[in-house]
Amino acid sequence: MNVIFQSTYYTLYQAADQRCFYLDFGQKIVRMSLCQLLSLRHKVMNIDIENHFDSDFNAHGFEVLMLCNKEHLFILNTLEVLDLKKLVSHSFISLGLSAEVPEVTFS
Amino acid sequence: MKDIARQSMSIKVESMDLLNGQIKMEAHASATYLAMASWCEQNGFFTSAKFFFKQAEEEREHMMKIFNFLVDTGGNPISPEVTGINHDYSSIVDVFESTLEHEVKVTKSIHNIVKKAREIGDFATERFLDWFVMEQVEEENTIRDILDMIEVTGTEGVGLQMIDNQVANWIE
Ligand SMILES: [Fe+2]
Ligand SMILES: [Fe+2]
Repeated sequence: MNVIFQSTYYTLYQAADQRCFYLDFGQKIVRMSLCQLLSLRHKVMNIDIENHFDSDFNAHGFEVLMLCNKEHLFILNTLEVLDLKKLVSHSFISLGLSAEVPEVTFS
Repeated sequence: MKDIARQSMSIKVESMDLLNGQIKMEAHASATYLAMASWCEQNGFFTSAKFFFKQAEEEREHMMKIFNFLVDTGGNPISPEVTGINHDYSSIVDVFESTLEHEVKVTKSIHNIVKKAREIGDFATERFLDWFVMEQVEEENTIRDILDMIEVTGTEGVGLQMIDNQVANWIE
């Protein structure tokens, strides 16, 4: 397995022999196809982080993330969401599927 | 290292995001034209209603074309949420003027995706959109012609009914 990208809390691996990816969430490792990775990207990128700073929208700053057809459920705090956004954007660049220069949110 | 990602997907994610946005826009156009058809039916413009029923169908076809392109290229097409459809129009002229406005917006959006695809070297997306660029020229032209006809006919007396009858010329 090769590391595609490692952020503060998460690591994405590619398992070429199995034609899939593994995302290490720390407490759990999730096996994902590229389709599922794209779906994760969609969900993560659509999280409006500004709502985390507005108690009317998101009182406690948590985000519920369901992955792989609701097989996995994660509850993420603001820092974890930001870190996951970073992992996703950098990973797609490493994978050669994104041309964008990623926004650096924090290091 | 085997490149699983590139083997599974042949366009860039930035193009995919913009195309998903376009899917939503086409769905919104389809729903808007359906609302216009409803307005025309309720206000006695039956030929125009027919025109907008057909437009609504065409916009859905546009949406499906993009949807299927994302399927073919290994992307992640998103079924759009469509909200905020306007059902209020002050006149049949208002309906057609809104239509032109809407089409111009769609054209701009498509041009923007072409520009972006070119910037990032996504040739597949750029070529795919050729058809849409030309389709928009046609659509804008159709509505402009109808607005010209409205202008010439005038809205006084039986004008409105004459306008409605003439819309038949633009239903193939
Ligand atoms: Fe369209
Ligand atoms: Fe159109």
